[in-house]
Amino acid sequence: MRLVFALMVAAAPALAQEVVTPQIPREEGLAAWDRIFEVTSHPRCTNCHVGDAGIPMWEALGYGEERVHGMGIVADDSRIGAESVPCRTCHVTSARANTVPHAPPHIDDAWRLPPIELEWLDKSSAEVCAQMRDPETNDGNTIAELVEHLQTSAFVAWGFDPGAGRSAPTGTVEDIARDVALWGEAGTPCVEG
Amino acid sequence: MQLTVNGTAHEVDAEDDMPLLWVLRDELGITGPKYGCGIAQCGACTVMVDGVAVRSCQLALGDVDGEVTTIEGLGTPEALHVVQAAWVQHQVAQCGYCQSGQIVQAASLLDLNPEPTDAQIDAAMSGNLCRCGTYPRIRAAVRTAANKLQGA
Repeated sequence: MRLVFALMVAAAPALAQEVVTPQIPREEGLAAWDRIFEVTSHPRCTNCHVGDAGIPMWEALGYGEERVHGMGIVADDSRIGAESVPCRTCHVTSARANTVPHAPPHIDDAWRLPPIELEWLDKSSAEVCAQMRDPETNDGNTIAELVEHLQTSAFVAWGFDPGAGRSAPTGTVEDIARDVALWGEAGTPCVEG
Repeated sequence: MQLTVNGTAHEVDAEDDMPLLWVLRDELGITGPKYGCGIAQCGACTVMVDGVAVRSCQLALGDVDGEVTTIEGLGTPEALHVVQAAWVQHQVAQCGYCQSGQIVQAASLLDLNPEPTDAQIDAAMSGNLCRCGTYPRIRAAVRTAANKLQGA
């Protein structure tokens, strides 16, 4: 897994962001970023965007504050729990609607944690902003690729519509895709923090 | 649809959204996997799909994408699977209700990770609840099975 990521990073120059003159005022870009961070800091996202401990969270699910995933789940270095319980033991790959409260949600993709570099849990707006605008720490994406990811990822689509009464961030996939594009056109501004 | 369980192909006449556990128990009469919670919170229904443990109570028949192995297909009384033999050696079971799920989960773990650390054994088995509290014997049996697989 790490080797794959290393190869992706090695290939990053081909994917590197182009330097462009901002088309959108910085203030509008910062406002767009604030709306983006409101989403990325929602537990629906941060429950899986965790760091190298690889322990997913169960926050905002009605089980109390700062709850880690039940059952001692550790996604480990593989980020899919291959060393102990694979995510897919419970989070099956299925396009069916999520209708059962407290059951493990599923999407039409292999359940897994995002790369460690995309740790969002307990990170500040400034930290996540700096992370997201740098292909070295955003999984090798240009802004256009991030927008495309948002529009096509089964994870993102599920995050806004998790089903069975689960809480979701405000807005829609199109809203955040538009905001990321806007933020990019403004030159990916970040507040100092 | 066709479903292969423990090496035998079955033609199953059931709705796509019927949980695999219902298909196994009610349609095919394979009753080793047990019903506990119905939402993957307890592990009593654990079976394998292509060698990976899954909670059959919440896997829809239409989403099964491989061959199913239940406790009945793991080993036989005459030729026990190494995990089953370790279970007997350590006399793990008390009431026994969760044990088919425990054994299948342990077998899947050792298939994916033949040399698990104690922490990984604990992590792997923590999703399988045992109300009798046989956890210390479960851990010991998994360790014994892992050692045997490594030729120790």
